[in-house]
Amino acid sequence: MNRRRTALSTATALAAALALAGCSSGGDAPELSVSGAFMPQPVMDDMAAGFLTVKNDGDTADKLTSVTSDIAGEVQIHETKDQKMRQVASFDVPANGSLDLERGGNHMMFLKLKKKPRQGDTVTVELHFEKAGSVKAELPVKEPTHNPDKQ
Amino acid sequence: MRKKHALAVAALAATAALTLSSCGGDKADSGTTPVTDVSTAPADKAATVLDRPFEKPDLVLTDTRGKKYDLRERTKGKPTLIYFGYTNCPDVCPLTMSNIAIAYKKLPQADRDKLQVVFVTTDPERDTPKALGTWLKGAGDPAFTGLTGDFPTIQAGARQIGIGIDPPKKEKDGTVVSMHGAQVVAFSPKTDAGYVLYSEDTTADDYTKDLPALIEGDNP
Repeated sequence: MNRRRTALSTATALAAALALAGCSSGGDAPELSVSGAFMPQPVMDDMAAGFLTVKNDGDTADKLTSVTSDIAGEVQIHETKDQKMRQVASFDVPANGSLDLERGGNHMMFLKLKKKPRQGDTVTVELHFEKAGSVKAELPVKEPTHNPDKQ
Repeated sequence: MRKKHALAVAALAATAALTLSSCGGDKADSGTTPVTDVSTAPADKAATVLDRPFEKPDLVLTDTRGKKYDLRERTKGKPTLIYFGYTNCPDVCPLTMSNIAIAYKKLPQADRDKLQVVFVTTDPERDTPKALGTWLKGAGDPAFTGLTGDFPTIQAGARQIGIGIDPPKKEKDGTVVSMHGAQVVAFSPKTDAGYVLYSEDTTADDYTKDLPALIEGDNP
């Protein structure tokens, strides 16, 4: 019984903490929102890329430190520089700014896909931030050439 | 008892998650409209016509059927697009090949027969003829040519048309960092010279617009 109460109160505390982190506006927490998310239908059976924008309306910068998804054994975050992509430990989400993952640039790379996403599917990811915690995002799977900046 | 408490915890956690995400605001519209404003003005033209065209590189490599492929001999007098990339590339390489493929499929059959689209790997160790063939079918079109060989030969060929590529490099964590060429190079059927460059920002529409001129060897 004791154990149960502890678990419950932990959960309640967690809920409170999360609610706080999510809602405090104008304080010193990052205020993150995700938009423009998509995954181009991949060519390979085991590898895909994902793109989105994280907007930060808060006065505090944050960092995207990792991404997880139930469709992939691993999701890496990559920067593209001089036609090379390289895994990075984190991406900055500047205060009152945004982190843009876009085609030809920084992106999420999904590895060890459990199932090949097809156009029309939706892929769910969890973005893990240093300060804001985890934020879920849904990536609609688009045609292989989808590139919102070009449309 | 145990089950019940697990459920209660899960419910609370879910509430917490919902509370958090509802405060995020407009994330429901993900995928449809990007919030980012594109501040850079789009260039008028995708194509860069070179004042001093490149001679076609003297490349003899292996195609996706494992056969010897002499680029100069096989593409002589034919409009040709050449791109250097690798298959373990989730973004730019398939995007480039797919954009070309969309434009290619819109061409009349007679033009499709003329146009040669050649993809040369920058990662020959991983891109075997078979792997290349499978990838090209998905990323581009079964009619496209995929070439592999030894890296120094590929690098030298790329350099002849102004495309710098470094060999794939193994990082400490075991991942391989490869690179793709910066441009697609179009060769004229009239002169066999590489006279037009396309950056990775070129869209399927751009290619659709330009291919008919390129097939005639005209400036797009």
